[in-house]
Parts: sequence; structure tokens; C-alpha cells
Amino acid sequence: MTLQITAPPGRRVRWWGTPAADWTVMDGVRRAWGWVAALRSGSTTPWSAWTGEGEENGPWLPGAQQLELLRRINLESLRSGRGTDARLAERVLAASAPGRGTPDLLLAGGGTEPRFGPRPVDPADLPAAELLRVAAGLLAEDLAASRRPGSALEPDRRSWRESSSRVGNRARRPWAPRYALVGHPWLVEPAVESLARVGRGPRPDPRRAYVLGADLPAMIGLAWTARAFDEGGAGWSEWLAGLARADRLPPRADLVTPARNWAARIGAERVTVVLDPAALPGELGVRRVAGPPVVGGAAADLARRVGASLGVLVRPRRRSTLLREVLLPRLAGTGGPPVVVPEERWGWVAERADRMRDALSAGGYAVLGDLDQLLGQRATGTVGGDPPEDDVLALATRLLLDPVRVAEGAP
Amino acid sequence: MSKKVLLHVGTPKTGTSYLQDVLFHNQRVLEESGILYPGRRFDAHFLGALDLMRLPWGGLEHEAVGAWDDLAHAVRAHDGTSIISHEILATASRSQAGRALASLGDPATTEVHLVLSARDLIRQIPAEWQENVKHRAALSYEQFLERLQDPAREGRIPSWFWGVQEVPDILDRWGGGLPPERVHVVTVPPPGGAPEVLWKRFSAIFGLDDVELDLHTERANPSLGVPETTLVRRINIAANKDVPPVHYRPLVRELLAHRTLSHRTGSPRLSLPPDLLPWVTELQDAWIDELKVRGYDVVGDLDELRGIAPDPEKWTDPDRPREKQVAEAAVDAIKALLLEAARQREEIDGLHRELAESRAALDRAHLMPVYRLRKKIVRVLESSGGGQLLLRVYRRVRGRSSRSA
Repeated sequence: MTLQITAPPGRRVRWWGTPAADWTVMDGVRRAWGWVAALRSGSTTPWSAWTGEGEENGPWLPGAQQLELLRRINLESLRSGRGTDARLAERVLAASAPGRGTPDLLLAGGGTEPRFGPRPVDPADLPAAELLRVAAGLLAEDLAASRRPGSALEPDRRSWRESSSRVGNRARRPWAPRYALVGHPWLVEPAVESLARVGRGPRPDPRRAYVLGADLPAMIGLAWTARAFDEGGAGWSEWLAGLARADRLPPRADLVTPARNWAARIGAERVTVVLDPAALPGELGVRRVAGPPVVGGAAADLARRVGASLGVLVRPRRRSTLLREVLLPRLAGTGGPPVVVPEERWGWVAERADRMRDALSAGGYAVLGDLDQLLGQRATGTVGGDPPEDDVLALATRLLLDPVRVAEGAP
Repeated sequence: MSKKVLLHVGTPKTGTSYLQDVLFHNQRVLEESGILYPGRRFDAHFLGALDLMRLPWGGLEHEAVGAWDDLAHAVRAHDGTSIISHEILATASRSQAGRALASLGDPATTEVHLVLSARDLIRQIPAEWQENVKHRAALSYEQFLERLQDPAREGRIPSWFWGVQEVPDILDRWGGGLPPERVHVVTVPPPGGAPEVLWKRFSAIFGLDDVELDLHTERANPSLGVPETTLVRRINIAANKDVPPVHYRPLVRELLAHRTLSHRTGSPRLSLPPDLLPWVTELQDAWIDELKVRGYDVVGDLDELRGIAPDPEKWTDPDRPREKQVAEAAVDAIKALLLEAARQREEIDGLHRELAESRAALDRAHLMPVYRLRKKIVRVLESSGGGQLLLRVYRRVRGRSSRSA
């Protein structure tokens, strides 16, 4: 049997590979400690194939979840040509999965079969979700220990209005038109920030309001993504099912309310609904307006899980700051395709899109694009379920190996 | 004085709420006797447990950030005996328990004692289902029992239940590194006995016998009968999706369950189904045998963990209750909610009156000639760049950021 070990130079691996056909209890304990030592040194051998032995090296054997997660990290480390991170290995082995769920499990065949407590397992049989619980807890620790750029001088995250107002006022061109950008915050925030950078940020007492949106299925997906990087919550399918059951749109995807509010304030003739993002720069007299960050479904799902663990480590405001300003830049452009509305929810979304179109049409607002765009294109051949947990786990292991502890540009 | 820490880690439904309330309300008296029960708020130890185990709890976890470290710091700083008590600590993993024990002080100078209070499963199983229902659970008693019997223990219900109830496993996780004489198992007396027996056991193990404590407490975790629990479960099924946790806790758990339905003491009580008695007896026997072998200090009698078999004649299935009894409980619940709604309406009316009076006072102030002149000046200044600059300077000097005059 080939034992796959990748040990860093100078690090002694305490194992010796004497295969044993029939493990006794004591052999089982030694075999388990041997596997722990090998994993610490970068081994990728699964528990079922492990035959070496080692000395007891701690008050208790780490849990099966922690050991299997470390093996997956070692696999990723090997794949990406990185060395073994001894500190990370120790953190993984000492971690406990945060929150409710399966407790730390013993290794099947790793010693006496316990009379009490949960059944020991072969770590390879553990679902990715169990490994993700441990990984998310560690990533949350990394985030909690990180600093965002400029954090020494600035308070925790402000709302986008405060942020845009501050940046816009600082660099505002006197001739820039007075307008407000409202609507889906995932679209509004990057647009406001990019405009503020060229001196075209929103000013007080706007004369015109632009309600930024997209087709409703996309807006719902973006609302879940935005939520994942803020307050967290349920997975995509569960969250969407809850909305459909209650026949309720997420507030972030609601264009009617901000349009009405601004119409009441400045008049409906000064409110423009923007469904064609390409038309917005010309309308505002700028070359370009930044779009939302591209975040794959698996990346958003990971953020959601990390956020849940982070909520126990830092206050809610700091949690949002860390997720949006430290984790999001690291996950942008990763995580596969974004979430899509599955077939079984299409009828509900289409009906809500119709209602939104009718309400916006009745409001008499100008429209950049076409209100019929709200329905969107029905994705063909797409399952539209939750992002695969294996993809989320793969992303998590990569992030653990390249941690966000110190944010780029941090002082 | 040598340092001693009494760490009480469970289990739930063993008189822990009463114990913790007495300790909290007697903090000063205890301190005079050299005993520290740390925490500025009554749930400080609960928050500490959430923090230690990184356990989300309907948003409460946000208040728990750093709570365990605060407790541990207070314990380390105290020269004498300290007590930490919360029942959900029972579910901590080995590494969490290890971290907790290490945080309480240097083992060379600090003597940590582990205390676990335990009650028979015949009472714990129905009590835990009821606790689940009072925490928004919608599963039936039958489903709950099936999940407990699943050897794989997959899912939140069985992993939590056995995590906080399987006494030998809890003591493995928490007491593995402690000598058995420092592990104390307090058994809860069988039903029907004198209520002070359990307190006397706690008092003995926590060294409170010579402390003059006020044992009166308002806080309790009262139990519900069969129709009342069924009613709360039905409310959960109907309203869970629409009532967020922040409203559920005060309205359903506190107002309905604790302050209204728990007063209906004449209804049938929840109990273990008779057909599960052999399974439970076998489990309890195995636990008792194991605990005897381990040689822990037992306060009470391990045989009390066998419990008393419920009378099969009195068994009432909460999944098939007498609808008349549920309807009667529902009427009480509606009445309580009506009274609460009326109280809130009166409060809202009072606030509206106060708001109207404030608005009227504000309007009167706005009619003053001086105010109108200032407003006109501000409007004129805001219409020009120079005026805006002047206003900014004025406001900075004056030290206010609002834009209105």
C-alpha cells in the first residue's frame, strides 16, 4: 500500500507503516494517532486506507470531522503545490464545529467502541456539510481577526447612503446633477461608489431619482447573495421556498416601494426605473457606472455559512463589515454560476414580475429599458437548486490555505 | 485562600433555573462568604455557554460575544470559591470543554470540580419535547420519540437531546481529565418527594449550607400539560413562518406558555409512552452501572435515575389529545392575547397623546417670529455658494450637524 505523505523539510513524521490485517483495540488507538501525525505532516491517505501507527499525542483524539477536513486541505495543498501549513493543521485539529448539529465524532476502528455517545464513523462517509461547519468556523475566526483597509481610522460599516454622501461630498463636482440612486442595494452600492469616485456622487436634495433594478429572477438571486454577505440566513432553496409560500418578495428586490416613496417626495415625473444598466451612464453623463460584483452561488453560500459562525464572534455591524469589505473582495469572481430560480418557482416569480410591472407602469415613471424585462429569461436546462456542497467545501479549503486574516492594504 | 471552581454543566430540567436564580439574587451574600457567582445579568452564564460553544440562539448570540472570557476572567481574579452554572454546557465538545477548563485557572493552584445534575429519562424525554415545542418546534411527540430512538442520531433533535442528556457521555467529555472525586453527580429525587431535597443536595455540593440565602425566586421554567403543549405546537405550525423569534419569545413562550397555559394544572400531564419503558429502563440501567464503576462522588442516589414507571392508565397521547381540552386551553390563550393587545393599545394611545402634545409645542415654537426670521435667513443662505459656506462655518462653530435651523 502506498502511503501518500508530503512532509515539509525538517519535520519529523511519527508513523511507521506496518500493515495489520486485523486491528486490536490498542492497535486501533495507535493507528488513529498515526493517522493524526501523518495528517499533520500533509498526508492525503484516507482513514480506511491508513495502516501506520503513532504515539498518543494529546488529551483526546481530534474528531472525525476535523481529521477529514485536514485531509481535504492537504489534498488541496498538494493540488495547488503549496507546503503544509502546520499552524493551520493545529487549528483544524483543535476546532469544534460551531452551532447545533452533529457533535465531534470518533473514528470507526480508532480504539474501543464506546458504549455511550454517537457512533464512530469512517470520516470519508461524512457529508460535506459536516466538514463545512468546521471550515466555516475557522474562516470566521480568520475574518474576526482581520482588519479591513483603513479600519484604524474609520468606524464600522456605514450604510451606503452615509458612505456615498461622505465620498460624494468630498469629491463632488459643482456642476454634477442632483440625483439619487435607489432600488436593489446590490446594484446601487457599487454604482454610487463608482460615481462618487469621479465626482458624480449623489447630492442632498436630489432633483431626480433612479430606481436601479434588473429582471426579477436575477434580483431575487442578488437579494439572497446580498443577504449572504450581510445578515446570512437560510440556503437558497429554503429561503426561496419561504418567500414563495408567503407570497412575499425580498425587500431588496422590491422596486415599487422606493419608486413610490421618491415619487411622493419629488414627483413621479422625476423618477426613472432603470432596467437597462447600459443606458444609465449616458443618462448620468458619465462614461461608466460600475455593476454588481460577480459572486457565484457556492461563494455566496460559503459567505452565508461563515456569517453564521461570525455572528458569535463579533457584533452584527462588524460582521457585515467583515463579510462585505474583507470576504466579498476575496470571493468575487469565484464560486461557479450564480444561483438561479428553479423551474418549480418560475410560476410564482412570473406572477410577481407581472404585478411589479403593472405597479411600475401605473406609477407613470420613466423607464430605461423595458418593463417587460422584469420577467427575465427562463433559464433552460438549469436545475436551479442549492450550490453543490462539495463546491462550497472546495472553496472553503482554498480560502483556509490562503486566509483573509490580514486584508490587502491593511495598515 | 485556595481557589476552587464548581462548574455545573447540566443537565436541563434538573432544577437549574431555580438554582441559578437563587445564586444570582444572592450574589452579594455569597461574596461576603467568599463565593463568587460572576455576571452582571441573570443570563451571563447562558451567554458564556453560547460564546464557548459558538452557539447561535435566535439572535441572542450577538450579546454573547466574549461572554465566556468575561466569566473566566472573573473566576481567575477571585481568590476563593467560584460557581459557574448552565445546563446547555452539557453539550460542549471535548475541545470546548478542554478550553473551558483551561480558562478557569492554573491547574496547580485552582481545583476545578465538575457538577452534573441528572434526572431519570422517564421525565426528561417528555420534558425535552415540551422544551422543543416552547422553542418553536412543530414536530409531533411521535416524531420526536422516533428520532431519539434512531441509532444514527442524525439531525438537530437527537444530537441535541443526547448531547445534553446522555450522562456518561457528558462526563466523558467534561470529566475525562479530572479525578473521579472531583466529579459530582447530583441526582434529582423522584416525583412526589419534598421539594427541598434537591436544593439541599445542591446546597451541599456548592458549599452553601452555611450561607444565609434568600431562597425565594420569581424565575421558573414551568411545565405544561398535554392539551397546552399540543396547542403551542399547533400555534408553531400555523405562525412560525410569520412570527420572528424576537416576537415569539415574549408572546408565545413567555406570555402564552409560561404566564398563561402553565397555570392550567388540572389537565393531563405529559409522560413517557408505556411501550417505550423497556427501552428507557435498559438505557438507564446501563448508565447507572457505568457511573457506579467510574467512582464519581454521587450526591443523592444513582438508583433514582431509574425513575418511576408511569401509570399506563394515565397515558395521554399529545398527538391525539381530547380536542375539548385543547379548545379550552385555546380560549385561555386568546383571552391572554386580547388582554395583552388591549394593554398595548392603551400604551400606543398614550404615546400618540404624548406625540401630539410634542408636535403642538413644536408648531407653537415654529410660529414665533424669531424662528420664522431664522428660517428665512437659512433659506437665503442655502441658495448661494457663499451662503452655504457661511452656514457650514456657523454650524461647525456651533457644534451641530443638523441642516435645519
